[in-house]
Amino acid sequence: METESSDRALLERKVRRAFQVLVLQRGRNPGVKGWEMKRHLGRDYRKIIEVLSEDVSPMGLEVYEVKGADGTDDSSRFLLRFREPPTISEAETSGIRIDDLAVLAATIAFINSKQSRVARREVEQFLREKFPKWRIDYSLDRYVKRGYLEQDDRGMLHIGWRTHAEVDEKTLMTLILSRAQEAAKK
Amino acid sequence: MEQTRLDDYLRVIELCRDVESSSANPFDVDITEKLLILKERLPELKLLDELLVDSEAILELSRIIRLQDQYLKGRASALYIDPLLIQLKLKLLPKEALSEAFIKSWHPVAQVDQLSPRGLERAFIYWRDLTPISERFKDKFGNYGIGPGVVEYSDLINLGVFTREQFESSLAELHEELLHESNGEWVDYRQFIGDESFESKVRRAYLLAFLISEGRALLKTEPLTGKIWITALAEKVKGMPKSVAISITGEG
Repeated sequence: METESSDRALLERKVRRAFQVLVLQRGRNPGVKGWEMKRHLGRDYRKIIEVLSEDVSPMGLEVYEVKGADGTDDSSRFLLRFREPPTISEAETSGIRIDDLAVLAATIAFINSKQSRVARREVEQFLREKFPKWRIDYSLDRYVKRGYLEQDDRGMLHIGWRTHAEVDEKTLMTLILSRAQEAAKK
Repeated sequence: MEQTRLDDYLRVIELCRDVESSSANPFDVDITEKLLILKERLPELKLLDELLVDSEAILELSRIIRLQDQYLKGRASALYIDPLLIQLKLKLLPKEALSEAFIKSWHPVAQVDQLSPRGLERAFIYWRDLTPISERFKDKFGNYGIGPGVVEYSDLINLGVFTREQFESSLAELHEELLHESNGEWVDYRQFIGDESFESKVRRAYLLAFLISEGRALLKTEPLTGKIWITALAEKVKGMPKSVAISITGEG
């Protein structure tokens, strides 16, 4: 009986620790790598993350895993994120510019349609039909810096880890296709 | 003679690099054909440099195979949509609909960026152990550090921070950006200088000060709220300029 309650107390302590580790930004990028989780919570950190994800669910949050490049547990990144997307008015009041989001949405859709890699100059040329040059340069640089996009040494743009973490790309593509049909009908 | 022997290799390397740095279909490179060419030429190679060119060509071909793998995975995934179709759809959509589509598929990360007691302790120890600036560079420069002062435009050019052309074009770019952003209205100064990094903020504020001094932008302050507003002017205005001191900090 005593062992059971001490196990429970230990689990609660570890879940609390997991929440603190995830919610406080440590480095430049949000999220915590698998190996760091193991260091903070022990080898059974995945179970603790599962419990935490259920605990934060009533608050509209979830723990989300983004697989690393090599697919190992250590390279995975764990993040605390919104379970459901924010409403339009919530997003607007957070001070995000519509133009910036439109640039990002169009770029993600464009890159996905080109098998996940496209020359930056091609993206810029495509976006120039809708946005001024300075806005494109500014937004692309910012999204590369924030991890939503990746740019390699050959000037090719790829989808960044943060887009994989925060954006449901399938929903985005579906919405773009369906909205375009509505726009065409009007 | 050596160049002729290597021509085929160089052509293969160049072709692969062209495909890697463009959105071209990686299947445009016929790997089998290229490997046969390299195999045929290999016995002619004698020198180490030539063999290195051969290994470079193999490396480039392996990169193309990786791209072919990604291409197939992309085509097979549910995210694949014909590029022409998606371009057409994107052109049809207004900016508002694009951003709305993004928001509806977006799960923002929840994170707190703040100081913890441990962070404060580390900052205190760092500050306590930090050598005063006048002492820090004494060995290197052989003199004491100097207090804060005014940096002139000519000083920045002399220091190599800007060239005259860069400065002029940066000013023009910022003016254009402000014109678009303000569109005849007042915009928040602090929002406009941005929150990307301290360096970027200072740079934009510095350039903005020039635009204001030149009469290409106006600035007004609200003493009660502490708000600072700016707007761009399409044409220069003349008047008696007033000096306003604005502090820029490293905080967001």
